[in-house]
Amino acid sequence: MNLEDEHTAPEADDTSSTEPVSPQKPASFFQEQPPEVMEVAPQLLRRWTRRDLLLFGAGAIAAVAVAGSLLPQTTLKRLGIIQGNKNWPKKEWLLNRALRIDDDVAEALYSRNRLVPTYTKSQITPLKNNYNGATPNPNYIPEWRLTLDGLASGLSVSLNIRNLLASFRVHEQITRLVCVEGWSAIAWWAGVRFDDLLRAYPPISQAKWARIESSVNLGPWGNPDPYFMSLDLSTARHPQTLLATHLNGKPLTVEHGAPLRLLVPVKLGLKNVKAITRITYTAEEPKDYWAERGYSYYDGI
Amino acid sequence: MENTCANSTQLENERIATLTPGNQAGVRVVRRHHLLVRCSHWLNVPILLSLILSGVSIYWASPVYQHKPDPQTGSFDPLADIGVWICAHVPGLHQYSSPPDWVYNHISLGPGMLAAALRLHWLCAYLFMLNGLVFIIGLVMGGGWRSLLPRRTDLHDATRMFWYYIGVPFAKLTRRVWLHPRFNTKYNALQRLAYFSVPVAALLSILTGWAIHKPMQLHWLTATFGGYDKARIWHFWLMFVFILFVVPHVVLVLADGWDTLRSMIVGWSTRADRSADFSQ
Repeated sequence: MNLEDEHTAPEADDTSSTEPVSPQKPASFFQEQPPEVMEVAPQLLRRWTRRDLLLFGAGAIAAVAVAGSLLPQTTLKRLGIIQGNKNWPKKEWLLNRALRIDDDVAEALYSRNRLVPTYTKSQITPLKNNYNGATPNPNYIPEWRLTLDGLASGLSVSLNIRNLLASFRVHEQITRLVCVEGWSAIAWWAGVRFDDLLRAYPPISQAKWARIESSVNLGPWGNPDPYFMSLDLSTARHPQTLLATHLNGKPLTVEHGAPLRLLVPVKLGLKNVKAITRITYTAEEPKDYWAERGYSYYDGI
Repeated sequence: MENTCANSTQLENERIATLTPGNQAGVRVVRRHHLLVRCSHWLNVPILLSLILSGVSIYWASPVYQHKPDPQTGSFDPLADIGVWICAHVPGLHQYSSPPDWVYNHISLGPGMLAAALRLHWLCAYLFMLNGLVFIIGLVMGGGWRSLLPRRTDLHDATRMFWYYIGVPFAKLTRRVWLHPRFNTKYNALQRLAYFSVPVAALLSILTGWAIHKPMQLHWLTATFGGYDKARIWHFWLMFVFILFVVPHVVLVLADGWDTLRSMIVGWSTRADRSADFSQ
């Protein structure tokens, strides 16, 4: 490269022109161009360097402080950086904000007309029961009823499994269930469409959300562990959102949410509530079991 | 070269102002990195570190690589097994309270931190994508992208550079002459290979990240990586590209000296003619 020519040329022209001399045009658009060489006074160079390094140092300290404070408290305590409960109030706000932005992106990506991929029976994989609580006592099943609240009629509707199966068409699908932990399973489900239920028992006109709960859930020590979850009605109306009654051709077992569970393949597994006992339609976003524990709210995948 | 750096003309004027009256001996410097490239370079340090720490915590929730549970420890995760091995064999760690967690306690946010890790991972993933845009804008504005493009002779030259680096410590120890391969481009072939591959790996990490984050809405993307489970494996191994890059990158920059490190802070280098450095 003609570094020498390029360097000497502007010096010769110094008095005649203040415009920097443009180097020769490269042979190709993609070809690397010779570096821009300039000559500066040593003091000036030292001053710039000092200024730039000070700015960089300040920026680096700020970056370390911000990045470090974003780490979870448990991690900082384990590292011995903090003792006791020292939480920066804005930190949760910032992380929550990122979570909400990610939820908004998920909602923007969602389309009621986009179907999730379906599989063949040979692609079915084992589905584990990921609930680490006690499996509920199956005694609740004979008396099980699904209660619908927040309906346009102003009434509360109570259905049993026979009413449900008699009034609605049963749909089958082989879809993937994806867990927030990262594992997934392909299973063959059958049940009624949530959309059909919404048409038969329309919610109040302002309703945008459904609160879906299971009151029969039992915790690790057999204690009541009610599970409640928010679902936007747009997702509830997706044609592949089922109120499932069957798994792999057999009625649901207690481990998988007998007699009726939500199957919503466009959401993470944690939104797929087992053994649903009540659906309440609301205008405001209802509380969510896992959002209260630091997970996201919308969970669209 | 049209340099669009905001203070470019100002620099030029200052240069003329300082050079003409006293006619002092000037220092020749050469522009190396555009301001936006430098910013995105340093921002990558906390962002990538947080992505890796939170990513390993997310991996903990459901390790891709599993074996039958060990009858003694109950562990099914090779990473946990490494922790058990370290605690059993490294002096001073025999009393470690939970050996299966050793690896997760040291290269992640800690075990059982899925919710916290996901929050941090999403925040940093968006920042990483924005930072990638800053990097690309800086490359275009400064024209630096041309120096990153692979050349036809790169594979051969990169091999020569690789053996040069391998040989340097031995040559130093035995006080033998060990010639640096000559090149007259901004980067040598091995650097170019590395600085070209890392943005490609970053792009693939972003794509596989979306593929496992939205496997239903973006199922076509998930399918291009062979489905959900394979896309997770891609995403996992791409992390090691960054780790394998960063270690020699830092070692070589420190070995190369202050001028190279400073050029990523201030943007210019006093090594105006690189080929001259290695001509002896």
